[in-house]
Formats: sequence, structure tokens, C-alpha cells
Amino acid sequence: MQTSARERIREKIRHVAHIAGEILYGMTVFDWVRGARRQRGEIERLFILITFGDIIGLPILPPYYTLRLLPYVVPVLNRWKRSLLRERDLTDLAELIEGVG
Amino acid sequence: MTILVLILAAAGLAVGYGLYARTIDKNIIQPDPKKATPAKMYMDGVDFTPASKNVLFGYQFKSIAALGPIGGPIVAAQWGWLPALLWIILGTFFIGWVQDYASIVVPMRSEGDTFGALSYKLISPRARSILLVFIYLYLLLIMGAFGKVIGQIFLPKPVVPFGILSVILMGLLAGQMTYKWKQDIILTTVITVVVAFFGIWLGQTSAISGIFDGLNNALGANGQKYFWPIIFAIICYLGAVLPIWRWAQPTNYVSFWIIALGMLGGVIGMIVWHPSFGDFPAFTGWTVPGLGPLWPILFVTIACGAISGWHSLVSSSGTARQIERETDALPVGGGAMWMEMVLATISLLTATAAMGGWEAYKEAFAGGKFGVFASGLAAFLNHIGIPTAFGTAYGLVFLTIMGLTICYLVVRFMRVASAEFLGDAIPALKNVHVGAIVALVLSLIVIWTGVWQTIWVLFGGANQMMASLALLIITIWLMSQKKPAAWTFWPFVFMYVTTIVALGYKGVHAFQAAFAGTNVTGNIIAGVIAVVLIVCAGILGYDGVQALSRQRGAAPVKDTP
Repeated sequence: MQTSARERIREKIRHVAHIAGEILYGMTVFDWVRGARRQRGEIERLFILITFGDIIGLPILPPYYTLRLLPYVVPVLNRWKRSLLRERDLTDLAELIEGVG
Repeated sequence: MTILVLILAAAGLAVGYGLYARTIDKNIIQPDPKKATPAKMYMDGVDFTPASKNVLFGYQFKSIAALGPIGGPIVAAQWGWLPALLWIILGTFFIGWVQDYASIVVPMRSEGDTFGALSYKLISPRARSILLVFIYLYLLLIMGAFGKVIGQIFLPKPVVPFGILSVILMGLLAGQMTYKWKQDIILTTVITVVVAFFGIWLGQTSAISGIFDGLNNALGANGQKYFWPIIFAIICYLGAVLPIWRWAQPTNYVSFWIIALGMLGGVIGMIVWHPSFGDFPAFTGWTVPGLGPLWPILFVTIACGAISGWHSLVSSSGTARQIERETDALPVGGGAMWMEMVLATISLLTATAAMGGWEAYKEAFAGGKFGVFASGLAAFLNHIGIPTAFGTAYGLVFLTIMGLTICYLVVRFMRVASAEFLGDAIPALKNVHVGAIVALVLSLIVIWTGVWQTIWVLFGGANQMMASLALLIITIWLMSQKKPAAWTFWPFVFMYVTTIVALGYKGVHAFQAAFAGTNVTGNIIAGVIAVVLIVCAGILGYDGVQALSRQRGAAPVKDTP
């Protein structure tokens, strides 16, 4: 009985520590992670654009080697098109300015 | 008294978040945890990526809370502590969390559109352009308000420059260690934060501060007025043009620890000490000379901490696209705003209780508005064993770095905005260096010519006008969904009317002062900015009323997804 109560308290402490850790991560390193993701995303978008731009109407004659890439690109094509063609304005950048309050 | 104020704030949080916010969330928005959010539907691994609500809470809080909730209450304490406290608690209760929470909900149910796109769709095409004008002027006023404090008050203090230099150098080292040397983040954090603290300590020793003292003497009062703002501009220029991983991101990271540890120490010191307010008056009168009448000026003086329009932009462009479950919107958006209210309350306490009385507050305020916070923080830290001399230097570096980290991101944004607005007409503006220099020259003009209190109120006014625009968009969206909208409509009306009157008041006073020959350039710039903001608000109000009446007769629109 006592062991299970202790176990419950331990579990509770672990849970609280986990939440605190996640909040701290959100306040600190999460920005770096998002920055790295954004950079990777931009390079990826550009790469697919120069190899498969014809999908969205850019006049690119697909060379043989591009076609060999096709199976790898198919899974990301939908999100690539959406991401590339999504309308953007300056308010998209607002999140980059932190702490203005 | 300190404890009583904290209890009042806690009660506001408990009733506001626990009862009011939850009731709205449950009965009006009716979030469905099984419904796919834009983060899941459009997951691209970049902008649309689901994240845990705890991570997002931390991210949202860090994104919204900084100098705004600290500066506003300190200035507003001139009306007495009670009006400021009531506005912080009631403003958050009825308006602040409403805006932040709904700014996540509306884009979340509108395929992740930002407020720019939503204003285009829901109000009018020109509403988006007006929003961008607001944003640019708002950022310019931030540069003026923060730049004046940093460049003309903090940096000239001999204990500050070396501390700032250490934090920036440690930020650069953090970026190098992480991205180039691939070092462990914990090791990087420990080394850079400890050395930065050592630098702050070293900066306040007579050997180092004496050097800057000598420099200031050589410059003279007039030289200091121009020299330190130029140093501020150079730091902002580097932050704006260098790759984000090289400067802005790691410097912000090291600064976060400097700021967070200071806040934590301050709160512990405050609880240990729990001082009384002394003779600090609850209410000093309806009008504060140089600032204005309680209504409307108080309500724009404290913007962040009660309600801030910038939050709606951050929430819609960043957080809303990462919400994993609809039910997370309240703890993330609403929760972070309530935490900011706590921060604003603590800031008010540093101006009241930590100062020990009304005369001490007025004396510290006359020596620099934000200096009140630095002295208050030092007093709190002193109660956990940190010497006052180091505590004051730490408080000053803390505030300077907090402002600087915002300012170079602001310049970064301003150069993109000028390239977007005028890049076709003036191709030179597309160049990053030209865009950044133009933004900095404009900022320096405001810093050198502006009157701080006028700039601060205009900054609050532009911010609150963005808040009323966000509340208008939210109201129109709720009406389009045939949901009750009174909980956002009345806050919108209050904020809109209050802000227009505040801008009008400050605009008229600025022109009067200019015609009387006081600070002519600065007051004319302030007056013109006030007029532009009022005209933009008028157009938005007209378009908004038309959009509202369109929605009243329209059939319900099914939300997405």
C-alpha cells in the first residue's frame, strides 16, 4: 500500500518535471530547432523547384537523373506545392520578433 | 501589501482563467481534440508542425513577454498603484486573454491564415495594407522608445557597456559552439552564461567602469547623447544583417538565461522580503502632468501586461500553426497571457514596494524610467544575498540586453518591410545593408529628437490599435460562424475608442509643444505619426462596420476543416 503511494508520488514528480522540462525547452532551444527546420525547408523547397518545377508550370525539361529522384520526392510533393504556393505577407514574419509584448 | 497584491493577481488568474476563460472555451468555441488542426493537416516540417502544448506555452510566453510588461506599469504607477493594478488584472481578464486565445483559435479554424490574410478576407483588401502601416510605425516607435532608453540612459552608465559586450560575445560563442563546433547544448549554456555573469560582475568593478567613466567625461553630455545611440545602432545593424544563427539567435539564448535567472531571483527576494508600499499612494489623481488623464492614457501606457496587439500577430503566424489539438489553444494562448499579467504585476511591485515609498520612486523615475526596475530588482536580489552594487549593474544589463535583443529583430523586420513596400520603386532598398541603414537612420532621428513619454504612449497606441483590429477580425469571424460575439465585440469597442482618443490627445499635445518651440522636430514627428495612425484607424473602423453589417445578414459559413 505504502509502496504504491510512494510510486504515485514519484510518478507525479516525474510528470511535473517532464512538463517543466518541456516548457523550458519551448522557451530556450525550440527557437533554434525551428530556425534549423526553416533553413532545411527552404533548401528542400529550392531543390525540388529546380528539379521538378514543371509540376507547378515552370518550363523545366526533366532530365533522366531527375526522374530517378522521383520515387523519393513523391511523398513530399503535396506539402512542397502547398508550402511553395501558399500566399504569404509580412505578418508571416511577425513570430520572428520575440518579446515585443 | 506585496503579498496582498500577489494574492489579488492570483485570484484574478484563478477566476479569469479557471472560470471565465474555460466557460468561453467550452461553450462558445467548443474545441474538439479529435479535429485535425492546420499543424497536422498541412504539416510541412517548417511552419506547420504540431508541438506539445507545454513546449508551445513556453514558446508563446517567451515570444510575448519582455520590456513591454515591465515598462508600462512602472510609468503608469504615476497615477498611483491601484489604477495600474486594476487595469493589469481587469484588462487581462476581459480583453488580454480573449485576444491572445482567439488569435490562435481563428487562424486554427481558418487553415492557418495569419492576421494579414484574415483582415484581407474578413474586412477589406485595404485592411491588410493598413495593418502593415500600423506594424511599420509600431516598430519604428519601439525603436524610438527602447532605443532612447538604451542609447541615452543605460549605455552611458559606466557599469553597463562591459556587461553588454560580455553577453554579446558569449552569444557569438554559443552560436559558434553549437553550429560550428557541434558542442553539447548544456555545456555551451553553462560556459557562456557563467562567463557572461562574470563579465557583468567585472563591468561594475571600478577598474572597468572607470574606463567608461573616463570615456563619458571625454565625450561630455552632448557627445554622450550622440555617441551611445550610434553604438546602439551599430549593435542593431550587426544583429539585422548577419545570419540569424550567427548573432540574433544565440545572443537571445544567452540573454534568456540572464533575464530568467534575474526574474527568478527577484521573485524569491520579493517573497522573502515582502515589503510594504510605504507612503506610495493608491491613487494620485485623475491627471498626471506630462502624461495626461487617466482615461485614455493609462490604457495605452500599460499595453503588454494587460492587452497587446502584437500578441495577435505572433499567435496567428507562429503558435496557431503548431497547435496539435484544438483543446491546447486555451492553455497556450490564454495561459501565456495570464502569466504575462503576473510579470506585469511583479514589475509594478518593483516600482512601488521595492522603492520603499513615493519620493524614492519619483527620484528613481526622474533618473530614467526603466532605471526604477533596475533599482527595484537590485533591492529584491539584495534579500537573497546579492550585493546591491552588483544587483543594480545586473538589473541595468538585464534591461539593456532585453531591449537590444528585440531591437535588432525589429530592424531585421523593418528592412524586409521596406524592401517589400518600396523595393520596386527604389531597388536599392532590396539590399539588406541599405534597408537596415534606412531603418536605423529613421530610428536615430526618433531617438535624438523624440520625447520619451510621448513616444511610449504612441507606441502603446499603435499596439492597442492593432489589438482592436485583431478583436474586430475575431468578432467578424465569430459572427460568420453564428457564434456569440459580445465577449470580443465590447472589448473591441472599448479598445478602439480609447486608443483613438489617446492618439488624438497625444497628437494635439505634440503639435502644441512644437508650435511653442519645444523639441520642434521630435514633436512634429510624433504628431504626424499620431495623425497617420488615427486616419488608418478611421478607415479600418469604416471598413469594419461594413464588414460587421455584412455578417449580420449573411448565412453561416462552415469553418475549416
